[in-house]
Amino acid sequence: MRKEFPMLLTVVAALAVILSQFFFHIYNLGWLDVLDKWSNLMWAIAIGLGVINLTLIHGKKIMRRAPGYYNSIVLLLVLYGYGILGLITTTEGFHHKWIFDNIFAPMDATLYGIIAFFITTAAYRAFKVRTWEATVMLLAAMIILLGSAPIGEAIWGYWGDVRSWILNIPNTAGMRGIILGIYLGGFATALRVMLGLERAYLGGVGGR
Amino acid sequence: MLLAQDAPALGVFVPGNVAPFFALLVFCALVYIMIQRARAGQRIPEIRKIPGLEAIDEAIGRATEMGRPVHYTPGLGEATNVQTLASFAMLGHVAKRCAQYDTRLLQTNVEAFVMAINQEVIRQAYLEAGRPDAFNPDDITYHSPEQFAYAASVLGMYERERPAANIMFGAFWAESLLFAEGGAYLGAIQIGATANTHQIPFFVAACDYTLIGEEMYAASAYLSKEPVLTGTVVGQDLARIGVFALIILGTVLAHVGETNWLTGILTK
Repeated sequence: MRKEFPMLLTVVAALAVILSQFFFHIYNLGWLDVLDKWSNLMWAIAIGLGVINLTLIHGKKIMRRAPGYYNSIVLLLVLYGYGILGLITTTEGFHHKWIFDNIFAPMDATLYGIIAFFITTAAYRAFKVRTWEATVMLLAAMIILLGSAPIGEAIWGYWGDVRSWILNIPNTAGMRGIILGIYLGGFATALRVMLGLERAYLGGVGGR
Repeated sequence: MLLAQDAPALGVFVPGNVAPFFALLVFCALVYIMIQRARAGQRIPEIRKIPGLEAIDEAIGRATEMGRPVHYTPGLGEATNVQTLASFAMLGHVAKRCAQYDTRLLQTNVEAFVMAINQEVIRQAYLEAGRPDAFNPDDITYHSPEQFAYAASVLGMYERERPAANIMFGAFWAESLLFAEGGAYLGAIQIGATANTHQIPFFVAACDYTLIGEEMYAASAYLSKEPVLTGTVVGQDLARIGVFALIILGTVLAHVGETNWLTGILTK
């Protein structure tokens, strides 16, 4: 029963969504809206449980003076401090917004910025001419770079056209093939879950 | 969203969804036929060799030899994301191998629901491997619901724990390259799998093995070698042949200027 009941719920919810997508009269019953509301409600309950869980785990850590307990103090201070501030001033309040705009946003942007450097190092390894596939990739990348950078246009006026051709014809064709496979594969996976053939999400190995 | 003045197509269908409904029926029929053939013990085609999946045991074996942990992340997808659903099966396999080889598995999460499921998947895998005592719930960690806070936290964990194998299997966005390059700096064997097409090039550039697109969805069938699961993959491939036939038909009709009736059927 521990596995059968969740599976039954999965099948019923999936059928409700599928039938609502295709059948006009079932769509008008509004099952999708009901499921959406339940989903939001579950998220809200999960957040509440998460806060209680975090408080208990880190509270115990602080009480026991476990290694790294000072990190737990910071976590609880930020969790409750920022939460209470948001409740008092609303998320549009000056102090709440200031903390978000001047601490969270720059740190987020900084980490995002690191990707530029990582792209360079990853590309360096990937573009080493070791195989003919890597050579083709390197040539395509060089043409795309020359077609995108102003220097390419200065060297030869048609780099932009070649770049557009590579992006719009072979690249799009390949990408659409991959996307087609992804959609069919994704649906086959969903079907396996619905039919109870893939039960890994209930705890198990190798799809069963 | 349907409007009040909308009328059902053919009396019952949501307008615009008639062709997708019949396409779905054909797809389900193909998968069902293949499952029945597999159940009856009739011959069905095998899944071709997928190097990225073959390399999983090699990666975990290397981590075991080096005495270093294995890191597994399902990415940022929610539990309802089909990529995350595919990831659970892979995690079960990885956890079972780690339990058998007595190798520490570090599993990081960004989603609370996904973490709860992952805990159960790993616990069950250790149980099936006969090593419930080796299961350590503290190695399954929740980091942050924020994309880059999670990425920063995982990169910090890389430095502290230095995993020798890094398996990234699920829905990834911009953090994919941070994980993959971070792992490359450690010299870890890296296996990346995602169906998010904008992230596949990053995995191809930075990982030792990449599962592209639908290969990740075939993982559970490939690893379990169960004929019934393989049957669903075969059915999916037959559907793909049908779609390609439709593309060729559309291309021919477009060249002779006769596409109206086909688009009329497909958009009904």
